[in-house]
Amino acid sequence: MTWSATARGAHQPDNTAFTQQRLPAWQPLLSASIALPLFFCAGLAFIGLGLGLYYSSNGIKELEYDYTGDSGTGNCSVCAAAGQGRAPPPPCSCAWYFSLPELFQGPVYLYYELTNFYQNNRRYSVSRDDAQLSGLPSALRHPVNECAPYQFSAAGLPIAPCGAIANSLFNDSFSLWHQRLPGGLYVEVPLDRSGIAWWTDYHVKFRNPPLVNGSLALAFQGTAPPPNWRRPVYELSPDPNNTGFINQDFVVWMRTAALPTFRKLYARIRQGNYSAGLPRGAYRVNITYNYPVRAFGGHKLLIFSSISWMGGKNPFLGIAYLVVGSLCILTGFVMLIVYIRYQDQDDDYEE
Amino acid sequence: PDCSRLILLSFPQCAGEENWVDSRTIYVGHREPPPGAEAYIPQRYPDNRIVSSKYTFWNFIPKNLFEQFRRVANFYFLIIFLVQLIIDTPTSPVTSGLPLFFVITVTAIKQGYEDWLRHKADNAMNQCPVHFIQHGKLVRKQSRKLRVGDIVMVKEDETFPCDLIFLSSNRGDGTCHVTTASLDGESSHKTHYAVQDTKGFHTEEDIGGLHATIESGASGSLETDFMPLGSENLLLRGATLKNTEKIFGVAIYTGMETKMALNYQSKSQKRSAVEKSMNAFLIVYLCILISKALINTVLKYVWQSEPFRDEPWYNQKTESERQRNLFLRAFTDFLAFMVLFNYIIPVSMYVTVEMQKFLGSYFITWDEDMFDEETGEGPLVNTSDLNEELGQVEYIFTDKTGTLTENNMEFKECCIEGHVYVPHVICNGQVLPESSGIDMIDSSPSVNGREREELFFRALCLCHTVQVKDNDSVDGPRKSPDGGTSCVYISSSPDEVALVEGVQRLGFTYLRLKDSYMELLNRENHVERYVHLALRWKRQVLCVLPQFIRARVERNAVEGLRTLCVAYKRLIQEEYEGICKLLQAAKVALQDREKKLAEAYEQIEKDLILLGATAVEDRLQEKAADTIEALQKAGIKVWVLTGDKMETAAATCYACKLFRRNTQLLELTTKRIEEQSLHDVLFELSKTVLRHSGSLTRDNFSGLSADMQDYGLIIDGAALSLIMKPREDGSSSNYRELFLEICRSCSAVLCCRMAPLQKAQIVKLIKFSKEHPITLAVGDGANDVSMILEAHVGIGVIGKEGRQAARNSDYAIPKFKHLKKMLLVHGHFYYIRISELVQYFFYKNVCFIFPQFLYQFFCGFSQQTLYDTAYLTLYNISFTSLPILLYSLMEQHIGIDVLKRDPTLYRDVAKNALLRWRVFIYWTLLGLFDALVFFFGAYFMFENTTVTSNGQIFGNWTFGTLVFTVMVFTVTLKLALDTHYWTWINHFVIWGSLLFYVVFSLLWGGVIWPFLNYQRMYYVFIQMLSSGPAWLAIVLLVTISLLPDVLKKVLCRQLWPTATERVQNGCAQPRDRDSEFTPLASLQSPGYQSTCPSAAWYSSRSQQVTLAAWKGKVSVEPPPALSGSRHHCSSSPSHSCPGSRVQLLV
Repeated sequence: MTWSATARGAHQPDNTAFTQQRLPAWQPLLSASIALPLFFCAGLAFIGLGLGLYYSSNGIKELEYDYTGDSGTGNCSVCAAAGQGRAPPPPCSCAWYFSLPELFQGPVYLYYELTNFYQNNRRYSVSRDDAQLSGLPSALRHPVNECAPYQFSAAGLPIAPCGAIANSLFNDSFSLWHQRLPGGLYVEVPLDRSGIAWWTDYHVKFRNPPLVNGSLALAFQGTAPPPNWRRPVYELSPDPNNTGFINQDFVVWMRTAALPTFRKLYARIRQGNYSAGLPRGAYRVNITYNYPVRAFGGHKLLIFSSISWMGGKNPFLGIAYLVVGSLCILTGFVMLIVYIRYQDQDDDYEE
Repeated sequence: PDCSRLILLSFPQCAGEENWVDSRTIYVGHREPPPGAEAYIPQRYPDNRIVSSKYTFWNFIPKNLFEQFRRVANFYFLIIFLVQLIIDTPTSPVTSGLPLFFVITVTAIKQGYEDWLRHKADNAMNQCPVHFIQHGKLVRKQSRKLRVGDIVMVKEDETFPCDLIFLSSNRGDGTCHVTTASLDGESSHKTHYAVQDTKGFHTEEDIGGLHATIESGASGSLETDFMPLGSENLLLRGATLKNTEKIFGVAIYTGMETKMALNYQSKSQKRSAVEKSMNAFLIVYLCILISKALINTVLKYVWQSEPFRDEPWYNQKTESERQRNLFLRAFTDFLAFMVLFNYIIPVSMYVTVEMQKFLGSYFITWDEDMFDEETGEGPLVNTSDLNEELGQVEYIFTDKTGTLTENNMEFKECCIEGHVYVPHVICNGQVLPESSGIDMIDSSPSVNGREREELFFRALCLCHTVQVKDNDSVDGPRKSPDGGTSCVYISSSPDEVALVEGVQRLGFTYLRLKDSYMELLNRENHVERYVHLALRWKRQVLCVLPQFIRARVERNAVEGLRTLCVAYKRLIQEEYEGICKLLQAAKVALQDREKKLAEAYEQIEKDLILLGATAVEDRLQEKAADTIEALQKAGIKVWVLTGDKMETAAATCYACKLFRRNTQLLELTTKRIEEQSLHDVLFELSKTVLRHSGSLTRDNFSGLSADMQDYGLIIDGAALSLIMKPREDGSSSNYRELFLEICRSCSAVLCCRMAPLQKAQIVKLIKFSKEHPITLAVGDGANDVSMILEAHVGIGVIGKEGRQAARNSDYAIPKFKHLKKMLLVHGHFYYIRISELVQYFFYKNVCFIFPQFLYQFFCGFSQQTLYDTAYLTLYNISFTSLPILLYSLMEQHIGIDVLKRDPTLYRDVAKNALLRWRVFIYWTLLGLFDALVFFFGAYFMFENTTVTSNGQIFGNWTFGTLVFTVMVFTVTLKLALDTHYWTWINHFVIWGSLLFYVVFSLLWGGVIWPFLNYQRMYYVFIQMLSSGPAWLAIVLLVTISLLPDVLKKVLCRQLWPTATERVQNGCAQPRDRDSEFTPLASLQSPGYQSTCPSAAWYSSRSQQVTLAAWKGKVSVEPPPALSGSRHHCSSSPSHSCPGSRVQLLV
């Protein structure tokens, strides 16, 4: 008998709540009585949020100008025509005149926008060497194969920075001039070119190779600049903290855009008299026109935009919130009607 | 002794064992044949090594890999991986190689471990020592060195090392006892007989000097001086010698040729309906995948036809890229797109499904409701592949004896010459009063009558195969009810034990079989000894019974008792010898042995004198009726397949509520077919049924309303074989279709007088009928194995008739009543769980991959990935895997108790309801909608603007991360919406995996990982979180994605609630459905013990039609005289009372 008793003990399942599938549990039901208040509450909250977002987006001002230079669209068409079919295009400058009837509320940010430019093309977006950009000397001399055909120069020197992204660095430059009084002198508005890239990018991710004899130029000795560049990388800026791989224009460009139409931050206007925004008056933007876009059917735009807590002008979020909120309320009402009518039927059925 | 005897061995022909019998000549003890015999051709036989393992050390890796990659899914992933290795693809090979490697390795380790265990077991078996005779001396050798022709000695309690021909034993009569517990689980002792000519060889020297030749095989030459052998001379490997000190035998089949090894052949794999649906869905997704890749490839080349798009100045190609052939490029692009989208068919789904099945099956074995205290047995799960199939059963085929009934026989009464005897019931020691009061125990029978009576009891006491066991080392012992003797009767037939015990209570105690004498203790406490003539057989014969006994047998049969008639015949010495000779000749016949034996029995079993009849009750299993009723309410059709006779089986069916009082019985029996033609009967029945179903209104669908007419069909084996038999004109399907049509309209079907193979045939017939219903077979005996193997789900009841059924089944349960919980609760849960698992997996991968597809339209079809490699790899492995796995293990959409109380809920999931194409399309569309929301939500967010307060711009990886974050939250919350049963584990995994995603992303982007050659994710996630609009967008997009599903759920629940949802809604006030639906419950007394309520009820109801039909079935032949002639023993096996057995008393 003892034998069978132990056998029974061994076979007997553990009688725990888990093995018997009887763990205490919360058993919610998504019934109309729960969903209805939920829908109404969510609807109201969404409409509230949506209104806030919509107005805050509407408060943001944007001023944009297409300076591609299609014929008859301002004086940049000269440059565009001059650059047609010539590589590299000759240096050319043009200007954009505009006037502000009232204060352009600051802080104002200056963006450039490119269209039809596929930074997210796979062949393009892999064509970089992150090791090289992080200042690794060995990678400087031996760029990865993904950089091809911008891996080695015709002379066989390694290209630094290698790859298609770096090679196609946006090289138009802008300066903003303000004419306070009609007919008066144009005063240059200071553009803050720092802080346009992610802090972590130019402090951690992008590093210059170690200096050789205190000179960045020597560190890059034995490398070639990308074929489209007019200057080597160590001469991108006279400021030693903003040159080489950590040049902020370069860093901004290297963060590839998600969509074929994209903006990139060029400068912030926040100094001197312009910290509150651009006062009313006439303005001129001097444009150094270098970057060819017409070859691939692209456009170049220049945008002044103010910024709120939610970033730039984007009505989408506000409208979407409003639509979803109203939908919630609408379906809430539909469900309420269904609920009441059905409840009657159900009662009849029960009886 | 004569040393040059030739022995011809020929095996009994059993169905399905043709491959076992080959022709061979064996020289016992490897002695050369005597000169003059035919030329000695040494035959090569395998050694006695048993190899059950699949792999060796050397071939494990290639063979295992080959086996694994034969699975289509694995092969597909291998191809994807290879493509990634070979061509330049957007994702690194690691993303698909790592999961594949993981899956393959885990499977290989598991299989390797199992094989290692098999190796160990094989080695233990192959190396165990065996005694055998060499040159007249006893030698010990390892088992694997045993050769065909070796003479082996086996001692008591040893296992036979190979298949042996039994030469001699130390017992004088040349017998030995064997138990085959390890082969088929039957613990009773079986007697085997030594070869007649050699049974005198008792010592090693004698045996060593034996010259003998064994020929075997169907093609053996029929030389007259060959001594034929039968299965009683054969000792099978794996069986154990019992009650015999030692035996000698010669090895005839060794190693892999033994019967045991041949039986190793694995069962065919069963696949569940869910798996089939899953494969269909997979094919759909494969098509989607290929079409996506094709569309993108074509569009890519259309789009690129303008050179400034193909190769703008800022994105030049290398020289080698330009040189490449256009078609090669297009093909590579196609492959690259395939790779990009291949995640839509995830490796992890297979892993998760397997894990869910494996782990989920533990809940069955753990379930203490299905644990039987009495036997200490719990349910067994032999395969976990079919868990969900338990929730899909439409037909149950159940055995009667031992499954519906307990197979716990009790001797109820006997009837001798018009007197009914009821044995004392042990508990009170009193004679039970007879309910109908026909005849009480007659106190003063005539002298002649007393003689008859004693003869009857002696016959019962002696004619059986019961063995007496003094200790209880065998399982299932039955203690003698008589307190005085401590002996236990064991037999493979519980009927016989019941009879012997019953007779014991009537005064005759069987003591033992000793030295060919059977001893019994008679009423006067004298020991009587009878010579034991090994001449026993059981046969089912028909005979014609005298009026009274017939009535009695009939009555008992109707009550569900098992009846047996006892007759005798007095033989004189010469007659006996004649019979012996006749039988021997038949037994050793090489051709048509069965037929000849039958003829011999026919000849002997005539002119028998009837003594009386017995009735043995087989009680219904506990709650069998309740279970059947619940299963029928669940919409399952229950068929009873039994070998019993119709009356007995029908009575059991009434008792277990398979037939109800308002069930109109349709008969399709041999009797009726003889009266009309099969054709007419079938058409008449179908007309009846169809007329009825034509008038059937919809609201009667539930089949529960009392006034609804439902039909029960009774068919017997002979009629069935007529239906199944292909007709001469080849239109065999005609009758089958008609028969199926009738069956479909019947709520219950009883098939009686079924051969085991016919049971499987019936299952097959239904299985392949045009609706392809899911079938389940439940049985307890070896005769049910064929149907258990045939049905979609085979369930074995761990019963008294050995464990063969349990062993061959997919699931084994201790009692029939456990079937209820198994199907209604476990089956239902598993089905709900796995269907959600499958649908959800496809859904979340549509959500995952469709944005990638959309992104191609915005990146110039350049196969740019939207998500980072880490996200691609981990999405299915870790971010979204655990919640669904735990859901699929824990989910209970409705309480266990509710499911048990309300079996109709089972209908909600019938016919694969949750995996229909409509549901699948809903899930897929939901996935597409969500994917559109994720992608275009993020698109409009990022279009032409900045979303940070410092004016900085996000790149493409932030875009992808935003989509990905919204997606992970949406699919996880979607699962949360579907979860009805939130245990702490669900909370833990759902919120835990969201948290894990966030923590992982923070870490992944927070550190410059030195092992990566790109740092594209650096600070991406953190930057995204620093932007307010990103948070708002996440909330908005998750809400939009979930909204339609919530709306659908709420509206469906409100407008078209399923039964399950109704019950969920009303869970607070559970309705008392049981009493509502079981008007019969009150009519039935709870048990089925002393009086037979079903029979009383059956006859007292006003179903005159049925009753008349019953009467018509019973023999209507004229009351015969006892001195029966051949005329009275009809040869057709289906007349009058075919269940009775005649025992010959010599």
